[in-house]
Amino acid sequence: MAAAIETIETETSLGSRRAKTETIHIRVNGSWREFELGRDLQSETTLAQLLREALGFTGLKTACDEGACGACTVIRDGKAVLSCMVLAVEADGHDILTIEGLAEDDPVVEAFAEQCEPGYGTALQCGYCTPGFVMAAKAFLAENPSPTLADIKEGLSGNLCRCGCYAAIAMAVLRAARKIAERGGAR
Amino acid sequence: MREPFVPRERRAFLGQYRPKIDGREKASGRATYADDLASPARFPGMLYAKVLRSPYPHARIRKLDLSKAERLAGVIAFLRYDDPEVASLRKTNAGWTDGVDTVSYRKMMWGTFRDRFVLGDYACWAGDEVGVAVAAETELAAEEALRLVEVEWEVLPFVLDPYEAMKSGAPLVHPDISSNNVFPPDPFGGGDVFVDKGDVDSGLASAQLVVEGRCVYHNATQNSLDNWCCLVEWVGDSLTVWSNSYATDQTRMHVSQMLGLPIHKVRAVSPYVGGQFGRGDTGDQPFFLFTALLAKKTGRPVKFKHTRRESFHDSRQPAIYEAKVGALRDGTITSMHYKSLGNAGAYADHTMFALKYAPKEITEVALAHVRDVRFESFGVYTNKIPACMMRGVGNSQFNLIFGLMIDKVAEALGMDPVELCVRNFGHEWESLPDKSLERVLEEGSRRIGWKEKRHAAGQGPVYAGTLRRGVGFSCHPAWHAEWQEVRRGKVQVGVTLNPDCTVMLNAPSVETGNGSNTCNVLGCAEALSFLGVEPEDIHWSSVVDSDRGTKDCVQTDSAVSFLQSELMALAARELKERIREIAAPVLGAEAPELEIERGRIFPKAEPGAGMAVKELLSSGDLAPITVFMSRQPLADKTGVPYIANFAEVEVDTSTGRVQTLKLVVINDCGTVMYASGAEAQQVGGQCIGMGEALTEEIVYDEATGMPLNFNWIDYHIPTMADMPDIEPVLLEVWKGGGEYGACGIGEGTVTCTPRAILNAIYNAIGARIDEIPATPDKVLRALGKI
Repeated sequence: MAAAIETIETETSLGSRRAKTETIHIRVNGSWREFELGRDLQSETTLAQLLREALGFTGLKTACDEGACGACTVIRDGKAVLSCMVLAVEADGHDILTIEGLAEDDPVVEAFAEQCEPGYGTALQCGYCTPGFVMAAKAFLAENPSPTLADIKEGLSGNLCRCGCYAAIAMAVLRAARKIAERGGAR
Repeated sequence: MREPFVPRERRAFLGQYRPKIDGREKASGRATYADDLASPARFPGMLYAKVLRSPYPHARIRKLDLSKAERLAGVIAFLRYDDPEVASLRKTNAGWTDGVDTVSYRKMMWGTFRDRFVLGDYACWAGDEVGVAVAAETELAAEEALRLVEVEWEVLPFVLDPYEAMKSGAPLVHPDISSNNVFPPDPFGGGDVFVDKGDVDSGLASAQLVVEGRCVYHNATQNSLDNWCCLVEWVGDSLTVWSNSYATDQTRMHVSQMLGLPIHKVRAVSPYVGGQFGRGDTGDQPFFLFTALLAKKTGRPVKFKHTRRESFHDSRQPAIYEAKVGALRDGTITSMHYKSLGNAGAYADHTMFALKYAPKEITEVALAHVRDVRFESFGVYTNKIPACMMRGVGNSQFNLIFGLMIDKVAEALGMDPVELCVRNFGHEWESLPDKSLERVLEEGSRRIGWKEKRHAAGQGPVYAGTLRRGVGFSCHPAWHAEWQEVRRGKVQVGVTLNPDCTVMLNAPSVETGNGSNTCNVLGCAEALSFLGVEPEDIHWSSVVDSDRGTKDCVQTDSAVSFLQSELMALAARELKERIREIAAPVLGAEAPELEIERGRIFPKAEPGAGMAVKELLSSGDLAPITVFMSRQPLADKTGVPYIANFAEVEVDTSTGRVQTLKLVVINDCGTVMYASGAEAQQVGGQCIGMGEALTEEIVYDEATGMPLNFNWIDYHIPTMADMPDIEPVLLEVWKGGGEYGACGIGEGTVTCTPRAILNAIYNAIGARIDEIPATPDKVLRALGKI
C-alpha cells in the first residue's frame, strides 16, 4: 500500500502536466491518501478493488460485485456503502472506514465474536460475510442506538449470510448496542 | 432466554455454550481467505486466468481464432483445447469421491461417468467452461481477451427436460456413455432397481389402503459467498495450489493424478474457506488443472477466480419422485415403492449418489421394519447446469417424498402423522418404537404447539380476510454416525505437549465455518483436562497444508465435529503413559503407580507428594512429547439418531405468498460436542432449507436454454428480514460407539425443512404444492385461482 503513495511523491513533476482533477484524495481509516487517475487507479476501478488490491484492506470481501450481498460494506462519511458499487473516483474527498480501521476493542466486533447464548447459535460461521455485517451494523447503530429486533431485521436485510446466522447476528447487534451505551455512546 | 440444552453428562469443555475459537479473527476481518491470499502483493508477477464459457446449451467448437485476442496488451498466454498438454489429458468427472476419502483416478467413485474434458471443444450447458483459457496481467485484460476470441460454433439442438431427453430422437448429451441419455448401471450405485425387499407388488395389492404421491425437487444451488478461487505457483518441478477447496488431500491427489506428478511434487493449501455446502462436488474441478498448466506455461503464479455469475457452477441434483405406499387400517405401513428420475444436467458427477446411495442408507435404518420396499432410480443427462452435491445430498430430495407420503397416509387413515412415524420407523438394530424418533417428535410437537395448532387441512380460522395458518413436520434418520464414516478410511491426529504444558494440535480439517475446529480444540482440552489444559493453551492452525503430511479430515457430514476428538481421547491416554515414564525415575516410583490430575503428577499412594507436570517437563531436555494416532472410524453398527423439523406458516390466499412464522429444528446428536456451534448449524441451515422451499431456483429460458438468474437479485436467498423465529432443540437420546458416540448434524438440519413447510402449507390451505419452491403462482394455482 505504501508503494502507491511513494510513486506519486517521486513523480510530482508529472502532476503539473495533468489536470488537478486527476489526483484523487481519499481518507482511509484516518489517513489521507493520494491516487493519480490513469496510473494508480482507472476510471472503472471500484472502491472495493482499490481498497483490497491497491491498499491491502482485505477485510471487506467482494462476493457478488454487483451490490447484492453486502460483503463489501464499508463506511463512507458515517454511512454504510457497498464498496463494489462505488467507483474509486467517487470517493474523492471522502472519508472511508474499513474494518481494519476499527479499534481493537470495538464493541460491534466484540459482540459478533462473543455471541453464543442458548437458542441462537453463533453470529458467524464461515466468517466471509462478517466484516460486511459488522460495518453495516456499526453504521446502523450510529443512526439507531437502541433498535428493536424489527429495526435490526429491516436495517440489516441488505446483507446475505449463507451460513444463516441471522438470528445470532441480530442478538449480537443488540449486545453491541448495550456495550456502546455502557461505554457512553457511539465512538 | 431460550430453553438451553442440558447435557446427559456434564463435561469440562464439551457440550457447552461458548464463543467460536475463530470468532475474534473473523469478526475483526483478519481471517484470511484464498482470494485475500492470492494477491500481487504476496505473489509478485501474478497473472489472472479466465476461461471461455459456452453461450449455448449444446455446441461444439469448429474453429478457434485467437489472432485478435493475442494482440491485446496485457495478455500473456493462452491454453487451447487442441494444445498437446491439454488434448492429452484424460477425461474425468468432478465426483471422484463423495468427500470422505482420498481416491485415485482409477478408483474414482463414478468411473462409469468420465464425461468431462478438462478443457474440451464440446459444451453441454450454457455456462460450460470450454475451448480456451487465458492468463493476463489484469482480470480486465483476461476478460477482454476472451471477448476477442473468435469462435465458430456448431450449435447443436438441446434438451432441458428429463422426460423429453429420454424420448427417441432427443439430442444426445454424451453419446459415448449413453445412447438415450439415461445413465447406464454403474458398479457403485447398482441397477435401476437398487433396493427390492419383500414383495412390493403383492404387498400393494393386498394392502387395506394404498396412497400415491409425486413431488419435484428442483435445482437450488449452494451459494457459498467465497467464490471458487485458486492460485498455482511452480517452483522448479513442484507446484503449490492455494485454494478454497475443502479437501486438500483430494486436491493434491487430483492434480497429481491428472498432471502425472508424483504426490510429493504437489502441495495443496487451504486457508479459511467462506462456506462450502457441497459445492463443486468434492473439488475435482478442471480449473485447478488448466490454471496449473497456464502457470507452467508462463512461469508465473496464476490466479483463477469465479465471478459470482460463474459461481453458479453446479446445483443440487433435481429429482422427480413418485411413490406408492400400502398400509393396514391399524396404521402399519406394509409396502413402499419409490421411483425417482434425476435430472443430472450436463455431467453425471454425484447424481447417482443422491438418487441411490442416500435412499439405500435410509432403507437400512428408517425403513428396516417396513416389510416390502422397492427403490428405482434413473439418472438422465440434459443440457442444464450439472447436478452436484449440496448440503443434505440425496436425503433432502428423498425427504420431500418421504414426508409427503407420511402426511398423505396419515390423512387417509385419519391418524396423527406423528403417531404413524413412531409406529413404523426405527432401525434394524432396535425394536419399535424408536426412542430417539419418539423423543424428537415429542419435543417438536410440544414446541410448535402441534396439538393446539393443527386442524383439518384447510379448515382453520381465517385471519384478516385472506390469511390461513397451518403446521407441518417432517422427520428423517440422521446419517453421520461413526460407523457410517468407515469409507473415510483412517482419521489422523497428532498431539504435541510442550514442556510448559501448552499444546500443538495437529488435526487438519479445513475451516469452512461449521465449528468443527472449535469442537477439536474443546475435544483436545477435554482429553487433556488431567493436565489442567484450557482451550486457550492449545494451538490449532486455520490453514490446512498437505505438506504437514497428516491426513486432512474432510469437512463433510459434520462428522469432523467428533471423529478427530475420538482420537484425541485415545492420544491423551498414551500421552499420560509417556509422562508417567518420564516421571518415574524423577519421582522414584514405578510408572503405573503414578497418577496425573489437574496438572500434577504424584504417587497414587501419596497424593500430597509429586510435582507439577510443567515442572517435570521443564527440568528435562525440553523436548516436546508428540503422540500420533491413526485409526479407522469404528465400524460397530450402533444405529442412528433421528432429526425433525416442525413448521408453522401463514398463507395469503389472495396473493399466494407464504410466510414461515416459526421453525423448530430438533436433532438427536448422541453427544453435543459444542452447543453454540450445533445450534448455529440448526438455525443457520434454515437459510438454505427455507430458501429451497420458498424462493430459490435456477430459472431457464426454455426457448434458448439459457439460465436467467445467475445473480443474487433474481435468485433469492433469504435475508434477515425473511427469516422466521427458529427454535433449535438439541437432544442426547441415542449414543454411538467410542468415547463420545456423537453424530454429525449439519446436513440434516436442512433436509426436513422443505417438506415440513409444504405440509404446513397443506394444513393451512387444504391444497398441495408438490414442486418446490412454493412460489405464489404455485399456491394460487393449487387454490384454483389461476
